[in-house]
Amino acid sequence: MTIHGLWVISKAGGLVFSRSYSDILPPQPVNTILTLAGILHGIHAITAKLTPTPIPGVPVGGLESFEAEGWGGKVFLTPTGTKFVLLHSIPQTGLDDLMKRIYEIYSDAVMKNPFHTPEMPINSSLFETKLQTLMSGVNA
Amino acid sequence: MTIYSLYIFDRHCECVYYQDWHRTRPVRAPPQTSFKPGVHRLPPPPSTTSSQPNGNVNRESIFSENAAAAANRNSLVSNGTSTSQSQKLSLPKGLPFDEEAKLVYGVILSLRNMVKKLSGRDEAFTSYSTSSYKLHLFETPTNYKFILLSDPSSDSLRFVLRQLYVGPFLEYVIRNPLVKVDSREEGVDNDQFRAAVDRHMKGLSMFN
Repeated sequence: MTIHGLWVISKAGGLVFSRSYSDILPPQPVNTILTLAGILHGIHAITAKLTPTPIPGVPVGGLESFEAEGWGGKVFLTPTGTKFVLLHSIPQTGLDDLMKRIYEIYSDAVMKNPFHTPEMPINSSLFETKLQTLMSGVNA
Repeated sequence: MTIYSLYIFDRHCECVYYQDWHRTRPVRAPPQTSFKPGVHRLPPPPSTTSSQPNGNVNRESIFSENAAAAANRNSLVSNGTSTSQSQKLSLPKGLPFDEEAKLVYGVILSLRNMVKKLSGRDEAFTSYSTSSYKLHLFETPTNYKFILLSDPSSDSLRFVLRQLYVGPFLEYVIRNPLVKVDSREEGVDNDQFRAAVDRHMKGLSMFN
């Protein structure tokens, strides 16, 4: 499995972090990714509405993963509304564990940073180096 | 494993066929103004609104272009009271068919464009899943889009959609001189096609 990239989307639908970790998917300008992240945020809400068998009283979940022919994306929604989007190759294994690791790194390096403003772009070299180490371990 | 519903869209972005099997929240028939024959066999909407409070039809809607002006005002008012709206949404009551079809088409179109943009070439988007269902897309060279909703644990069911295309669809729709293909006014529904699709689906191992 190869990880192609990671996006972090704030609860308002704005892209706060994006990195590419492989060169299989062509590099995109930041503006394109910003647009796509916004679209994904909207799709997430609509897919929840299309649920054919909702259980009354239980909140319905939105998009969790999508697949193209050679790669896919995994969406993880935290309880606070932040979304992590992982672009990966197919077949994939252990994405849930990897997602948890990323969330852990995010909590440690971003949320515990007193100089970080919530909902704003993430500028943390600690976050980036930790992610880089994790991803190079997975992609190796 | 379960199969929930099947949609077929033509190249004009119009839904031309719909069938469902195991939905606990059935889709509702569209209002008379946006009714299109030959797509689905939903029972027509009740003509009297005595059983429902006024404006209820539009309250769940996230589009309002088909609604009358008065109903529009009602839906705007009800949007203001968000608590009553969220209570309504949690009830197992479906969207009108025409709105649901638009949502399905919008989602797959957006995801398809996103996949194309990210991969930088003409790569096909195949499926997405949520915690409660999985959507499969199969696109023919003539831009018909076959969409199947199944339960989230199923494997790729694109082969089923392909079988529907080369089997019942070609036999009872394309080769049927009575079906107005590409008409934009009506769908492709006919008894043989519906029966053949139903037979095919019920014969699948994942259909319960």
